[in-house]
Amino acid sequence: MRFNEKELAFLSRQPSEKAAELGMRGPKKGDVVKKRLVKLVVNFLFYFRTDEDEPIGALLLEQCRVEREDDQAFSIVFLDEAERKYLFECDSQEQCLEWIDSIVKASYEFMRKNLIFYRTEIHRLTGKDPLEQYGISDEARFQVNNGHPPL
Amino acid sequence: MKKGDGGKRLGLTRHFRPRIATMKLNERSVVHYATCDSPPDKTGFLFKKGERNTAYHRRWFILKGNLLFYFEERESREPIGVIVLEGCTVELCESAEEYAFAIKFDCAKARVYKMAADSQAAMESWVKALSRASFEYMRLVVRELEKQLDEVQGRPKSARKPLLPALTACSKPAASSTTGPPSSGQSLASTAPHANSVTWNQAEDMQLTTGPARENGVAWNKAPCMSNGCAEGFSVPWEGKGDGFRPPPLPPRRRGGSGSLESPVSPETECFSKLHDWYGMEVAKVRTEWLQNQ
Repeated sequence: MRFNEKELAFLSRQPSEKAAELGMRGPKKGDVVKKRLVKLVVNFLFYFRTDEDEPIGALLLEQCRVEREDDQAFSIVFLDEAERKYLFECDSQEQCLEWIDSIVKASYEFMRKNLIFYRTEIHRLTGKDPLEQYGISDEARFQVNNGHPPL
Repeated sequence: MKKGDGGKRLGLTRHFRPRIATMKLNERSVVHYATCDSPPDKTGFLFKKGERNTAYHRRWFILKGNLLFYFEERESREPIGVIVLEGCTVELCESAEEYAFAIKFDCAKARVYKMAADSQAAMESWVKALSRASFEYMRLVVRELEKQLDEVQGRPKSARKPLLPALTACSKPAASSTTGPPSSGQSLASTAPHANSVTWNQAEDMQLTTGPARENGVAWNKAPCMSNGCAEGFSVPWEGKGDGFRPPPLPPRRRGGSGSLESPVSPETECFSKLHDWYGMEVAKVRTEWLQNQ
């Protein structure tokens, strides 16, 4: 599948809320833990060799699950192939929890759910649709009926 | 190529080493996202100008989140490709082709994706949808609504409890936003039925299973964009009360509740099965609608 790699690489260079050196192990049998600079930008997790500018790779963080593996480790598993785990080793429990939290919240679909909830709740409390003033009430992506159940 | 900001932030010395290999991407999972059940934000046929073969090719497009997938045919099971839309601008463009527009990026030597719709209306609709497709945009809107909800509820910051597991503030956007004061990143105000969160956290996207350490989310409160107070419990179906695996005791059932207080999102609605039914109906209804619109 083709993808716009150059633009993705550009995205990986944007400021990020979360970047750290973590141990990372790929999902293939025989993969070992390697030190990587892991960087979270929007709904992508980029990983770099620690002294390089260009990412080795990117993980789109949609349709995935984050699991605590250990005191200081977590894994990301994608729902379509749940046996394959990307493992990340942190320096502390605190760091591990922070990363888990950030990654869970890094999906577009997660944010969409939030938005729909807020919209519904504000409407319920005020009788007004908060998106109307911005002229975006009818946007498909903000609809309750976008397949996601209302919260 | 410029040195990445990430390196400077961490105080690392970064070298430029040109990469020969293409960037890896979790392609199978990306394709899964494209083709999975969740309804797309927009679909339709568009003409796309090829890169080498500069003819326009008619492709089936699916917009989901900040990703624009394109397929050879509407029935194709897998996309030919995907355009990550983050950071792009969408413009109408001068072209021999009617109803043409372009997706452009800010980076050096970025490819310009030239597209054409088959009507004025379709073009306008696509341009609008694509220009609002970014994660950053979604985040801005969420922030704004968060703020509004806080105001509506008029609760002091300290009294806020986490709402549903999912409903906590995001950290600062990567590109600084100019939409007013930076979000203080407050967590959510109102409460919602626990039952609610059980059901939906079981749902597709994100699930979090954690080990015994379920302490208060100290962690992300210290993230660059502070979030105040409580962050716990985002990850478990139950509003965390310690171990996070036992549901909190149900609040006492209120009497004299005319049904009027009950609604799919009202905290007064305590009957889980009723909620469940409502949601079930809503989901069924909208699924039907969506299918009809296809």
